[in-house]
Amino acid sequence: MTAIAHDLLDAIGGVPRPDTDVVVDARDVNKWFGRLHVLKDVCLQVKRQETVVIIGPSGSGKTTFIRCVNHLEKIQSGRIFVNGHLIGYREAEASGGLPAVGGLPIVNRLPVVGRGAAVGGKRLVEDKEKNIARQRQEIGMVFQRFNLFPHMTALENIIEAPIHVRGMDHDEAMTMGRALLERVGLAAKEKVFPNQLSGGQQQRIAIARALAMKPALMLFDEPTSALDPEMIGEVLEVMKELAREGMTMIVVSHEMGFAREVANRVVMMDDGVVVEEGTPDQVFSAPTQDRTKAFLSKIL
Amino acid sequence: MTASTLSRFGTRRAALAGCLVLIAMSVAGCTSNANIRPQFFWDSLFHPSPALVNGIGLTLVISVVAQAIGVVLGVFAAIAKMAKFSPFRYISSLYVWLFRGTPLLVQLMFFYYGFPTAGIFKWPAIVFGPVNILPAVFAGIIILGINEGAYMAEIVRAGILSVDPGQTEASKSLGMTYGQTMRRIVLPQAARVIIPPLGNEFNNMLKTTSLLTVISVFELYNTTSVAAGHSYATLELFAGAAVWYLLMTTTWGFVQARIERRFSRGTSTLSGGGAGPRNPGFAARFMSLRAPIEQ
Repeated sequence: MTAIAHDLLDAIGGVPRPDTDVVVDARDVNKWFGRLHVLKDVCLQVKRQETVVIIGPSGSGKTTFIRCVNHLEKIQSGRIFVNGHLIGYREAEASGGLPAVGGLPIVNRLPVVGRGAAVGGKRLVEDKEKNIARQRQEIGMVFQRFNLFPHMTALENIIEAPIHVRGMDHDEAMTMGRALLERVGLAAKEKVFPNQLSGGQQQRIAIARALAMKPALMLFDEPTSALDPEMIGEVLEVMKELAREGMTMIVVSHEMGFAREVANRVVMMDDGVVVEEGTPDQVFSAPTQDRTKAFLSKIL
Repeated sequence: MTASTLSRFGTRRAALAGCLVLIAMSVAGCTSNANIRPQFFWDSLFHPSPALVNGIGLTLVISVVAQAIGVVLGVFAAIAKMAKFSPFRYISSLYVWLFRGTPLLVQLMFFYYGFPTAGIFKWPAIVFGPVNILPAVFAGIIILGINEGAYMAEIVRAGILSVDPGQTEASKSLGMTYGQTMRRIVLPQAARVIIPPLGNEFNNMLKTTSLLTVISVFELYNTTSVAAGHSYATLELFAGAAVWYLLMTTTWGFVQARIERRFSRGTSTLSGGGAGPRNPGFAARFMSLRAPIEQ
């Protein structure tokens, strides 16, 4: 088993501090893929240093939801605030757009680019690409398929964004990158290209790459689903350590053991709706909703 | 040694033997045929006239600069064709449609002679310190470059589309802008797919420069043609020109193999990046004395 250091976040100068107590505040988020309504009035709050695990059957919208949190997906109505800032959109007066009638939100049913979603008299207009990019600097994301840059070594993958996005000094970035690699147990792999590494090793580097930006929030999109069973443990180890050290995280996962052990809160989604949420004990031991019971009975 | 290696080895020997036979026949033909004056051939290779040297240089310079312009235009046209903003897409499509759909000769005549005659635009001479670029050469470079850009656009677009969308998502999620994502993440990976067809394009470009004769650029073909008109040593001189063209295209074959190796960084699962030529290309295989790489 790989040794995961117990001071992982020291490599990036301690726990990044979000600006607000509520790091993620999603309100009434709706999203359509064409005619398919994939997120239905989803509300979710994540507080500072909290680990929230989203569970649910495939197709329930959990991956789509966390992709909306850093605006990899557009939403058609609702608001998502991260660190106090509206993500991906700015609010504009509804002039010329769809008017709100009688204070009721009018939902724009077709995802039309450039036409915002009208909510409560104001429309959402997609923000400038530069602003969105700046907001994403504060949100780390780890993907199911790792998505490491194949033309760069492990260390180059990690220092790429700190140098070119944050403007960090090259030597400083190298020192930080090496510290991160060491703490995820891959100090010896700094000059190795991703396709020469195992899935577990690649995913640990992907986590280090996201951490190198000192994000206020980390999103994990099924980080162990593409891994061979014997490699799942080493990735979960790193994630547990992050949660223990106080990183704010949203994790979409099928790893119920991980959820039970690490999550402050578990959110059950089904068919685009948040069905139930609570502490792991509440959700796993005493689910109140039938859909949660049905889902848990299938996988536990 | 596998069966396929053996047969490839055999093919190469047969080709070599074929070449020797051809050379022997040519030498025999030259000595027995009084109409052939081999001296013109050897001189064009080993004592080229200043005009010929100039012509060879011009062919090279025009090809390199026009290809560079073509690559830059191609990248922009490809990106424009994939833009969200629809007018960019239309402009890019119109450009590719116009320049791929009409012959280069027509474009040369239209822009080089047509524009000044109609009083729209007169091609200027460009002076860079000691270097004086004639209007015809300047026009030739620009028109070839624009024409090439239309072909490169599709090649670059295919290259960009070959990169996994997850790469763009990963770089976006790290806070990179669209420009940074393209320059640092997508294009370097697309390059691996773009370079082999780009090599073909440049090989073509070296030979296509001969069309600039119609706008009276004295590159390799035109110079040879004029010399042949004076001496009537058409066979000998054009054989010499053919050798010069071959020399350029063959050298390019080697250069291309090197570039390909560079951009294969991170694609080999066996060892460090850029390990060995994965596909050495015809020129490198044909000319190298090494046995073909066993797969």
